Amino acid sequence: MHEPDDELEQQLRRLAADTEPVPAELLGAAVDAFAWRDIDAELAELTYDSLIDADEASLVRGPPGQRLVSFAAGGLTIDVEVTSAGPGRTVLGQIAPPQRATVDIRHPGDTVTVEADELGRFRSGTLPPGPASLRLRPPPGDDGPAIVTDWISL
Amino acid sequence: MDPDDTGQLVRGAADGDETAWRGLVGRFSGLVWSVARAHRLANADAADVFQTTWLRLAEHIGRIEHPDRIGAWLATAARRECLQHLRSAAKTTPTDDMDRLDVSPAVGNPTEEAVLAAEKEREDAAQAAALWRALGRLPGRCRELLRVLMASPPPSYAEVAAALGLPLGSIGPTRARCLDRLREELAGIKNEVSPSS
Repeated sequence: MHEPDDELEQQLRRLAADTEPVPAELLGAAVDAFAWRDIDAELAELTYDSLIDADEASLVRGPPGQRLVSFAAGGLTIDVEVTSAGPGRTVLGQIAPPQRATVDIRHPGDTVTVEADELGRFRSGTLPPGPASLRLRPPPGDDGPAIVTDWISL
Repeated sequence: MDPDDTGQLVRGAADGDETAWRGLVGRFSGLVWSVARAHRLANADAADVFQTTWLRLAEHIGRIEHPDRIGAWLATAARRECLQHLRSAAKTTPTDDMDRLDVSPAVGNPTEEAVLAAEKEREDAAQAAALWRALGRLPGRCRELLRVLMASPPPSYAEVAAALGLPLGSIGPTRARCLDRLREELAGIKNEVSPSS
């Protein structure tokens, strides 16, 4: 289905390809993303993100610089509060039902490991902005799957 | 494996075939990038959107319901990431296509043989600048739609609709209208340029 506008559209396409191509390092990052797959893990999908799902008109949005994100897998939920301070991000998490867990905070540069206490609470140090995902290791002695969350951009 | 059969690429990648994954990156990275560009994000945010979208697909690759519609899945994921960045109070530095107007070919010391080539280059650069400027004058909706359509390879209307959260049936008519508007702006810009030079 060729339309008379095709020529102008093709001109635009060449323009974008010439002046705003996908940066090479990002193509590399997209290829590398494949290596982060955790095929044996159970996926905890993103179920709520205050930045997207909070009612625009609502007055109950959190304070600026604070974001609430929830993930769910099976009977387990992980609620996360992301706080921005300058370029740094801090993650405060709550696992429900409450339980101790070892949590890997994965981001492309590094993985930081923290422990959730018996109330299911965990806290990161300062993280860089950018993509991140949490991985809950199975408890010692439990050969069940790990749980990984959807990637979000901190 | 047929590189044009995206459903096959998705199933291949789900089975752990890295070549299939590279095929998906090759086929759809332009689309994902154009979605970030259409939302006028600052470079660092556009890079985050791009990377997060691909990481998310990697984690979901074995759970994709309609492998043949993976482009729309990626466009939807990228759009969601863009909205998140736009609403984040912490980082609001939208960029503008108008920045592109500064891009002009470097003027060296043209030898006689290079004069013709330089002239051609100057014309191309002038045309590119006029196109960017015309795009910048379009209403937001038009600019966004065209910016997604500009992806290489050309996205399907379903992918454009997913990228912008618009109904599929509106894409064709809106595209035609926006290209008309662009043509008008382009003509206006060319008239503004003084013919005496």
